[in-house]
Amino acid sequence: MNPPSVPDRGQAHRLNSEPWYLPLGDEVEVFEAAYAARLPVLLKGPTGCGKTRFVEHMAWRLYRQQDTPRRALETPLMTVACHEDLTATDLVGRFLLSGDETVWVDGPLTRAVRSGAICYLDEVVEARKDTTVVVHALTDHRRLLPIEKTGELLDAHPDFLLVISYNPGYQSVLKDLKPSTRQRFVSLEFDYPDVATEATIIAHESGVDAATAERLALIGQKVRNLREHGFEEGVSTRLLIYTAQLVVGGIAPRRACDVAIARAVTDDPGVQEAVAEIVDVLLP
Amino acid sequence: MAHDAPGRVHLVDAQRVLGLFAQGLSGRYLHLRPIDALKGQFRPEGVTTDGASIYLPESVAEFASPRHNLGLYRIAVLHQLGYYETGTFDFSFDAACARLPSLPPERPVTREVGWAPEGARALVPAPDLDRFFAVWDAPVLMRRLFMTLEDLRIDRTMLRRYPGARADLERVMAHALERRPEPPAGSLPAALFEGLVRYTLGADAAALCASDVSGRLRPMLDAARALDRDGADVYDSAAAAVHCYRLMAGATADEVADALAAPEAAGAERRPGGTEAGPDGQGEPRPFDGDAVATVPVDFRGEVQPGLVQRRLRAAGTVGASDGATGRTPDADAADADRDEAERRTAEVDRLALRRAFGETAAGDRSYLVDEWDFQQRVYLKGWCRVHEHRLRGDDTDFIAGVRERYALQAQQVKRQFRMIRPESLQRVRRVSDGEELELDGVIEAVIDRRAGHATDEHVYTRRDRGLRDVAAAFLVDLSASTDYPVPEPDQAPSPAAPPPAPATAPDDGDFLWGMWPAAGNPQSEAPRRRVIDVEREALALMCEALESLGDRYAVYGFSGYGRENVEIHVAKEFRDRLTSRTWAALAAMKPRRSTRMGPAIRHALARLAGQDARMKVLIVVSDGFPEDTDYGPDRNDHEYGIQDTARALQEAAAAGVSTFCVTVDRSGHDYLRRMCPDQRYMVIDEVDELPRALSKVYRALTA
Repeated sequence: MNPPSVPDRGQAHRLNSEPWYLPLGDEVEVFEAAYAARLPVLLKGPTGCGKTRFVEHMAWRLYRQQDTPRRALETPLMTVACHEDLTATDLVGRFLLSGDETVWVDGPLTRAVRSGAICYLDEVVEARKDTTVVVHALTDHRRLLPIEKTGELLDAHPDFLLVISYNPGYQSVLKDLKPSTRQRFVSLEFDYPDVATEATIIAHESGVDAATAERLALIGQKVRNLREHGFEEGVSTRLLIYTAQLVVGGIAPRRACDVAIARAVTDDPGVQEAVAEIVDVLLP
Repeated sequence: MAHDAPGRVHLVDAQRVLGLFAQGLSGRYLHLRPIDALKGQFRPEGVTTDGASIYLPESVAEFASPRHNLGLYRIAVLHQLGYYETGTFDFSFDAACARLPSLPPERPVTREVGWAPEGARALVPAPDLDRFFAVWDAPVLMRRLFMTLEDLRIDRTMLRRYPGARADLERVMAHALERRPEPPAGSLPAALFEGLVRYTLGADAAALCASDVSGRLRPMLDAARALDRDGADVYDSAAAAVHCYRLMAGATADEVADALAAPEAAGAERRPGGTEAGPDGQGEPRPFDGDAVATVPVDFRGEVQPGLVQRRLRAAGTVGASDGATGRTPDADAADADRDEAERRTAEVDRLALRRAFGETAAGDRSYLVDEWDFQQRVYLKGWCRVHEHRLRGDDTDFIAGVRERYALQAQQVKRQFRMIRPESLQRVRRVSDGEELELDGVIEAVIDRRAGHATDEHVYTRRDRGLRDVAAAFLVDLSASTDYPVPEPDQAPSPAAPPPAPATAPDDGDFLWGMWPAAGNPQSEAPRRRVIDVEREALALMCEALESLGDRYAVYGFSGYGRENVEIHVAKEFRDRLTSRTWAALAAMKPRRSTRMGPAIRHALARLAGQDARMKVLIVVSDGFPEDTDYGPDRNDHEYGIQDTARALQEAAAAGVSTFCVTVDRSGHDYLRRMCPDQRYMVIDEVDELPRALSKVYRALTA
């Protein structure tokens, strides 16, 4: 039983230790090649299947593992969780009142552009439409960030890379990535792994024994068959890891599955009961 | 329903959870129906499956506790799923010949094994398992032996895969074992068969063999035991079945002697392998009347006709001629054409065999149980109706072009009216951190705060947001047979309403001034006979286009059916679908069907709306007559029952916060709609052609 790898939360963003990631295909090589050419990358896939961990891992590989000047960069990865009130201003920066003066403060995107870090916009479709302008400017060959409020036209640092994520199964008709935006990115598709791989991931991240991890991965696979019944995305790998962590913490497996799977993904009592039945026959 | 046993569990109550359970575990959708729903010639004694559905008892009261009875349902479902999961139906006759070299030569399949009509049997290949059974003199016995051994293999496999089901399975097996009847005396094959069945239910092998005088049971049980291992497959069961069959067939020659001789002498003389039909396969088994051997199925495993399931699975992979498939490309190979033709013929024969065995069973993509209201008893009949959902598919993607041309004028007006629905006023949102203008109050406060030495936040702006509409609308379109009637031509009907547009006196008719008149020659007189269904389709198509511009979510369902077991919902567009050429093709594929069982259709649409997260929900029913169906009420000619049930369904909608409206082209609609629809929420249209305009007017009124 491996001890769970809980990183030192205080310094996590500095990426001084390796964020563990188990490749499912050639995504590591593709990302490295895209970075070498500074091609913007789009990660597509359901929630909780490893997209953010993958970006962290790649940032660590490219910034900490390679012997280049960017190794010195303190914060190689800026992650922004996009939501429907997020505007371009939140990304680019704003004036703040400080003492008697107004002071310009860079937003996370501008910081990344200036310093040469990777900026990761998670669920970018949720954000307001004016963010598209910013994304478009940075993703063509000019790599410019126009900062309207100060009048500055910022050239991106040569190491800067824009990465966005997008969950195609979830968006409604009104919120979608326009073709003109999509076509600026290299796309990597993510999905939940097969049972054996997922079991390895669950065991590594939670420290639970291999047999339980295998059962949980199998439960995940079966419950995903109920996708259309309100489990729009199926149960995520992350939730399965939570379940395993509860088991490690001493909670009975059936109860752990109840709170971390059945009740987490649906409110429909019929579906909850069906999930409980599936869990019940799969667990010893 | 009788509630004699307190622990009794009804299928109607458990069905939804069981269905989801089955779908989750297997990844395939199977309808769950009561065994009584089978109306064909095959009447199983117990649970069965036909490739698209699992048939379960209508209620279970074997145990005192409802949890245990539910466990019985669970085991029954797991067992049926086991056939699919462990590859029973993947059995291939050729592969079997390779694995079992001592198989006797192939023979034609007889009717009671194959179910296909007489003449067809020579034309198309029988399903592989039926071919295997037909090899033997007693094919029915072989089938039963094979299925018993498969049952053992499946039970053991499912136990390994689903360890949590152990308690339920052991309880159910013990219960079934307790209730096994004694085999009829004097029939050794029957006794052997029963011994085998008991062994599969967990009886002790040694005890069983001790009471077997022939000595044949032991090798049979040895063969069966070999199936209880990881990796045993369907061919292992077949091999074991062959072994057991030969042992049983050999037994008949000794049967008479057994009945007369003393047990010890009989045991000493009858050595397995000592007769002509040796278990090692030397020589043919002597013909014996094995099909007459009495066997009793095990309830929770039921009785499955595996050849029929193979037919269903085979036919599902082929599109039949009656399904309206797209035509072949003209330059297809002649060999391809022959092969396709052969496949089609096989599929036709398969369907005939299945119909004969199971009766007419409608199977949509999905089915759901829906309640019905009996106004005379004043009760809900729970799960009374089965709604089958079918996805409409078609090829006519040009349909929309024709609609746009015919209704060019009306479409313009509808779109303009809908544009007026959009909220024009923008909502002002104050005190936000980013916006077009500064909020004076916020700025003053911020300055004051700074002077006072406090921290300030940056929420000093205001913004104007476009008010968002949050509407979900479901359209239910009547597809009953009467929609096949032609629309009366305008010049034939003595109606004052004339199709050509009014001159430009109305204030919003700006388009008229610019010559947007319909085409000069009246297109209606040149086109083929237009029917009510055509107008319904076109009206819905126009609505779809207009709704896209509004941004509302909407779904279009056609409904019809025949009888309470077969309520049909034909899905043209689901809420989550985008409006694409497939949607137009689906709308064009709406055809007149049968009856008008409105109540269940409304309830189903309500269930769909319930899944939508919207501030305003709307249900619009487009119909051409009153609700009626073959068993919609005790008296077919009295529509009161149907009207009351529909009225009740509309009340349920109101209680759920859904606004409803019924639009009908039935001129006598006032009579019943007045009573059926709450708050005068209905409209009777005189001219069918007015439907598009009327629909848009209704929609505006409901959602603006």
